[in-house]
Amino acid sequence: MAKLFTRTRIIGYFFALMGALILFQMVRIQTNVNAQKMSESIEERYGTIVRTIYPERGNIYDRWGHLLAGNKDVYEIGIALNEVENPDTLATVLSSVLELNYGEVYEKANLEYIEGEQSYVVVADFVSAEKVNELSAQYEQFENDRTKAKNSDSVQSMRGLHFVGHLQRTYPENSLASNILGFYNYRDREASTGYYGVEEKYNELLAGNPVKITMPKDPTLMEEVPNVPPGSSLVLTIDREIQAMTERIIDEAVKNNGAESGTAIIMDPTNGEILAMAVTPRMNPNEYWDYGNVFTDNTPFNRALSETYEPGSVFKVITMAAALDSGTVTPQTQFVDTGSIYVGGYYIYNWDRGAWGPQDMTGCMQHSLNVCLSWIATEMGPTRFYNYLQAFGIGRRTNLDLAGEQIWPLSLPGDKDWYEVNLATNSFGQGVATTPIQMVMAISAVANNQGIMYAPHLLQAYIQDGKQYNTPPVAVGAPIGAETAKTLTDMLAVSLESESSVALVPGYRLAGKTGTGEIPSAGGYETDLTNTSFVGWGPVDDPKFLVYVWLEKPTSDRWGSTVAAPVFSDIVKELVVLLNLPPDDTRHQLTAQ
Amino acid sequence: MNHLFTQAYQQAPWRLQIQRIGGFLVALVAVVIVAGVYLFISAQTATAGLEIQTLERERESLNRTIADRRAKLAELTSAGVMSQRAADLGFIRPDMSTAIYMVIPGYQGRQPVMIAPPPSSDNLPSPIIKQSYRQSLWEWFFEGVLGSGNGGY
Repeated sequence: MAKLFTRTRIIGYFFALMGALILFQMVRIQTNVNAQKMSESIEERYGTIVRTIYPERGNIYDRWGHLLAGNKDVYEIGIALNEVENPDTLATVLSSVLELNYGEVYEKANLEYIEGEQSYVVVADFVSAEKVNELSAQYEQFENDRTKAKNSDSVQSMRGLHFVGHLQRTYPENSLASNILGFYNYRDREASTGYYGVEEKYNELLAGNPVKITMPKDPTLMEEVPNVPPGSSLVLTIDREIQAMTERIIDEAVKNNGAESGTAIIMDPTNGEILAMAVTPRMNPNEYWDYGNVFTDNTPFNRALSETYEPGSVFKVITMAAALDSGTVTPQTQFVDTGSIYVGGYYIYNWDRGAWGPQDMTGCMQHSLNVCLSWIATEMGPTRFYNYLQAFGIGRRTNLDLAGEQIWPLSLPGDKDWYEVNLATNSFGQGVATTPIQMVMAISAVANNQGIMYAPHLLQAYIQDGKQYNTPPVAVGAPIGAETAKTLTDMLAVSLESESSVALVPGYRLAGKTGTGEIPSAGGYETDLTNTSFVGWGPVDDPKFLVYVWLEKPTSDRWGSTVAAPVFSDIVKELVVLLNLPPDDTRHQLTAQ
Repeated sequence: MNHLFTQAYQQAPWRLQIQRIGGFLVALVAVVIVAGVYLFISAQTATAGLEIQTLERERESLNRTIADRRAKLAELTSAGVMSQRAADLGFIRPDMSTAIYMVIPGYQGRQPVMIAPPPSSDNLPSPIIKQSYRQSLWEWFFEGVLGSGNGGY
């Protein structure tokens, strides 16, 4: 019988025992309660995490690449409760640097850590990088002091403090062009969206597509985070300098004339590009929460497209264009103004209730004779007249690429609210309501000398996936012929020159028309207050701009010729410099060289 | 006889024992090598994974910084700030009566901004694999070592 305890066997028993112990320990680890917890902990630490990656919101530029809306780096400041060592230090530093209430911060920092329920509290958000650097420096200081200190109880510590960086929408130009840009309610973080203007109209394009990914926490299983492209950036047709100039002048005009509001639009009539659109009031979109204080009593965000009004005599441009194009009249057609005309059971009078005697069509426009234009409309007949108005887009949306466009439906013969007298009143811009942008689009067909009406637009290009896509101009109709446009432009240039209008700008031949619209109210028309407008364009032989001015309810005077026309002139005087447009004579000389 | 014949060619028992031990050790060494390589690769993978995490955080941070700098630059050059700076430096707003116009041969005027290339432009193919990985030994010897070429690292 072999010996049981030889030296070799003892070693064998020893190793067998060790193996059994290892096996036992493995089974114990797998089944132990603490082992279960450890397993869960590993799963939590090295499991997967679902992340939603929000792309950077696209930028908005003006036509020359100046940033109008971008993003800046800000931080969320939070406290991990299980890491906090000294709530007092945290509260003291945070309240000092971030200008927060000490008590509130202390309360948050001193909260009990409850795993899975209460582990992290947000102290502040949208904190600037400078403030975060300040906090980081303080944190480092305390950590350095800690290594030197002997008694750990008295050591100051900011442990537990966490910074999470993210982007915040910012508008570097502050209130400039805010009525065009709209705003982005960035404080709502995941529920943020664009409101008004371009921010709302192109929200989806700017926002891009958020991507949800499942990431393993185990670094050995780590995969590359997909590259989420930023939202599309937009290049607008707006010229920042022209916009700033227009806003400055319209603000001054509103103030000087005691007007309720002011609107000015500058458009290139040859392609529909909006160069500037200034309205009052405006807000700083960086402080969008002030919206309610700025836009009180249902004030529209952008009157240029969201408020309809009876434009008055600027509408005569459309009536005369229709009459000339249809052959109803020629510039030489004579009309004897007796001071009134009877249409549909009502007498129509001129603005001054006077009789202006024999007038050609240029005279009718120059003196803005309601009686003459009413007669023209009756000569055209309702069918032809309203067909032209519809061709000019009256009563229809321009589809300008801004959120919130409003229209007032055009009453047509046969409608309940249409009466025969409407034919006369509509001819001089009463009883018909439009937005300034509708008027701009309609009159652009005359102003560009082509008879072609271009869709007004603000988007010049968009940048997607690193490529710039330019948007071509869109012609939306040709309500009149080119000859009609040239003829009427010349008539309106002569008309301005003949009356030595304050709208004139030395060196530049301009065409234009004033407008004074009475304001309808529940009991008829208001007697004291008016809407004063002016539309003008130039240079007449090579049009580069169309300017529309509307001052609502001015108290300085009630006439477009004295209130709105000087504003037009002020704008054009600076506009020609900003557009590098030499005076006509100089231009002709330079062209001839 | 057969038994005797077999016996004549049988290995000595101690040799068989050595062979078995040797085989076991070879297998053990192979297992240890495989385990070692596995551990080494795992460690490298984990390091690379952590590095990816770090780089991704850095990329996010850099993207935010770029956006932030762009916004700051825009603030510093905004219309209001520039106007104020110009006024402080003694410049005055140009007036139409003082403007002088002249023809500059070849000047096309201010051109519309192109923030990104047009869609028709294709990216030029850029070498993804370094030249050194595409060189033959022959090319490497003559171009890289003897310096007859431009190297290509």
